[in-house]
Amino acid sequence: MDLTPKDERPVRLLLSDDLHRIRITVFFRLFLAIPLLIWLLVWAIGALFVAVANWVVTLIRGMSPASLHGFLARFVRYTTQVYAFVNLAAEPYPNFGGKPGYPVDVAIDPPARQNRWTVAFRFILAIPAFLLAGALVGNGLSEVLLSSSEEFASFTTVAVAAFLGWFYAMARGRMAHGLRDLIAYALSYAAQTWAYLLLVTDRYPSSDPLTAIGPLPTRTDPVRAEVTDELRRSRLTVFFRLVLAFPHLVWLTLWGIVALLVAIVNWLATLILGTSPQWAHRFLSRYVRYQFQVGAFLYLVGNPFPGFVGAPGQYPVELHVAERARQNRWTVLFRLVLAFPALLLSAVFGQILGFVALLGWFASLFTARMPLGLRNLGAYALRYHAQTYAYVFLVTGAYPYSGPCLERAPAPVPEVAAPPQPLA
Amino acid sequence: MRPLRPATLAVLAGLVLWAVAAHLLWTSTELPSLDLPQLDPDRYFTDSFLERSASYERFLAIVGVLASLVLVAVLAAYARRGQELARESAAGRVGTGMLLAMLGFALVWLAQAPFGVLSLWWERRYDVADESYPSYLLESFLGLGSQFIFLCAGIGIMMGLAGVMRRWWWLAAAPAFLALALLFAFLTPYLIPDNSPVRSPALQAEARALERIQGTDEARLRVQDADRFTDAPNALAAGFGPTSTVILWDTLLDDDFSRSEVRFVLAHEIAHLAHEDTLKRVGWLALFLVPALALTALLTRRRGGLAQPEAIPVAILVLVVLQLAATPLLNASSRRQEAAADWAALEATRNPTAARGLIRQLATKSLSDPDPPLWVEGIYGSHPTMIDRIAMAYAWEEGQR
Repeated sequence: MDLTPKDERPVRLLLSDDLHRIRITVFFRLFLAIPLLIWLLVWAIGALFVAVANWVVTLIRGMSPASLHGFLARFVRYTTQVYAFVNLAAEPYPNFGGKPGYPVDVAIDPPARQNRWTVAFRFILAIPAFLLAGALVGNGLSEVLLSSSEEFASFTTVAVAAFLGWFYAMARGRMAHGLRDLIAYALSYAAQTWAYLLLVTDRYPSSDPLTAIGPLPTRTDPVRAEVTDELRRSRLTVFFRLVLAFPHLVWLTLWGIVALLVAIVNWLATLILGTSPQWAHRFLSRYVRYQFQVGAFLYLVGNPFPGFVGAPGQYPVELHVAERARQNRWTVLFRLVLAFPALLLSAVFGQILGFVALLGWFASLFTARMPLGLRNLGAYALRYHAQTYAYVFLVTGAYPYSGPCLERAPAPVPEVAAPPQPLA
Repeated sequence: MRPLRPATLAVLAGLVLWAVAAHLLWTSTELPSLDLPQLDPDRYFTDSFLERSASYERFLAIVGVLASLVLVAVLAAYARRGQELARESAAGRVGTGMLLAMLGFALVWLAQAPFGVLSLWWERRYDVADESYPSYLLESFLGLGSQFIFLCAGIGIMMGLAGVMRRWWWLAAAPAFLALALLFAFLTPYLIPDNSPVRSPALQAEARALERIQGTDEARLRVQDADRFTDAPNALAAGFGPTSTVILWDTLLDDDFSRSEVRFVLAHEIAHLAHEDTLKRVGWLALFLVPALALTALLTRRRGGLAQPEAIPVAILVLVVLQLAATPLLNASSRRQEAAADWAALEATRNPTAARGLIRQLATKSLSDPDPPLWVEGIYGSHPTMIDRIAMAYAWEEGQR
């Protein structure tokens, strides 16, 4: 992914969690959180009245009074801390007063002048952000939208990440880095959304995962995304994006059937040889790349119409797949079982992609540009999706990384040596 | 006198061959030379119905003509400027061609949507349709997606062949498309949704008897659940050989139609199967496709030939204009096939009263103008006019005396 300069947001997530978890508090996390949640509910009722008062005053003065701003900022901070604790993004029990200094905390700038028009229509303007925040963290509205789809798909990103993180933390005594960062990213966006809705700030929430949680790890995964897309969008192809993708979706389905058969052969071969046959690796890499490119086109993460063969180096949202490497036979044998958590998370990322496409469609149609934050969020979700399928199809033995990250090409590794040929 | 060049000779030979094939195909549908009596529609339909149906159809016909003109205008503009949209593609030569083709039809959809809404408004006004506008727009928009799948397959075949055979691609493309058309015609009965076997043993027995009379093999007899989207009655014959099927809409099997009227419909559809009309339609398609593709190859040369995506907007314009131009001819052939099926049904059922009753009901239920203006019949008439069909029943009756 491309590295964009970090903007100084008025609502910033501060992450100092060390990933260490105590199993007993993890095991009873939901029960331990009950007092926090009750107190949050009480606080939310108070915040509702304060928010109405704040709206009236800000509309008149063009700026929130410091007292109301302080109360609402503290409410946003406390909410973030409680959610971080409940969802295993942080370990210590949070303070009931929303005091700063928590390992997953929010820094909020003092009150600033706000545009009265955006204040007047804040509730309407916040709807798109509220939808996305709902898919990430949950707020009721998005669940209603999603409830018409598959049952399990209506779980929020944070809920699924926390569910998976619970098992990881119970087993290892540590939270998985990627899952923690994913939850932190979602909380960062939710905090921005609440702050925007409650008039704590008039900066619209940014969904960019690259600037949401501070410094990101730089990784060299064998399956990585590279975005060189320039954000321009053709209104014509945006309007017809769904139907233009139909031929690709049909082709992808047909290709998918063959890919599934090849994946089964690849599984057997890798189990025996310890590495994928070159032809299977190449075929499945192409399939995963093609799936990635079609997804990028369909969800407006990329602009141009992709080719039908998944060729590398031709699309501005590119998937790099490393050469085949030796894989642990045990992980090959149990690959489907091992991939289950990733597939679960991938399904939730699919939901996120739906929202990216929906919001991006309107934005691109009106401005002929895809918002940077949405584009990067879409690329992040697609990257995870691609890594999951590459893992399932044994294109790589590397487990998908669920957190936002910076990526760079891995150092070249020597090709797997061909087995010695028998002498004639 | 200068000797003719080989190319001119080949074109002339092609034209002669085409004319002979068209004649053979035309005459393969046998129809007795009838002197149909001139009937006065007032005798069979009420004044108010005649006025209402004429007004209804005239408006739709005018909207249809305007929509066709807009279609050509949009595609002409697209042929001039469409290639600029190639910058929106990272799909290589063939993929870019597909994108340009899809965008061309996407623009056509945008330009034609108002006409579609206008037609729907008119149909709703006359209680012929009750579909809502959003539902119509959504369905037609999503229908565009399935249209794009076939479009891409077609463009893929043409451009793929053009990449290999250069300017002679059409020689291979025409048989390829015909093979696909044949396959599609063969499978059509299985692609029609919401149909199930006819349950009535009496209707089954009648179908078998009519098949014996008309000397054709046993066909599948199905009923389609159509009353969810229309009240209009209809039936069709589809497939050929082992897939020969007669499909009756359930709107035909309600109490409004007598047993003998349904029997006439059955006989008409079985006649289509007996006459192998499905294959003849593919034959007409062949007669259209070969010159149309050759002309497309010729007219896209200035854009580098069909191997280049920039030529696609021009190719679409050429094919659509040729299709519009060929419509009256194809409709004339269709009218002839329908008339022959009516005649065969009269021969098989020997019940002209039922035929007349059925045709009057069909006209009334679908608000079809029994005696439309000649230009409307020429452009849109895939069946003989209702009044001609009634006249044919009289002519058959007369012939029996």
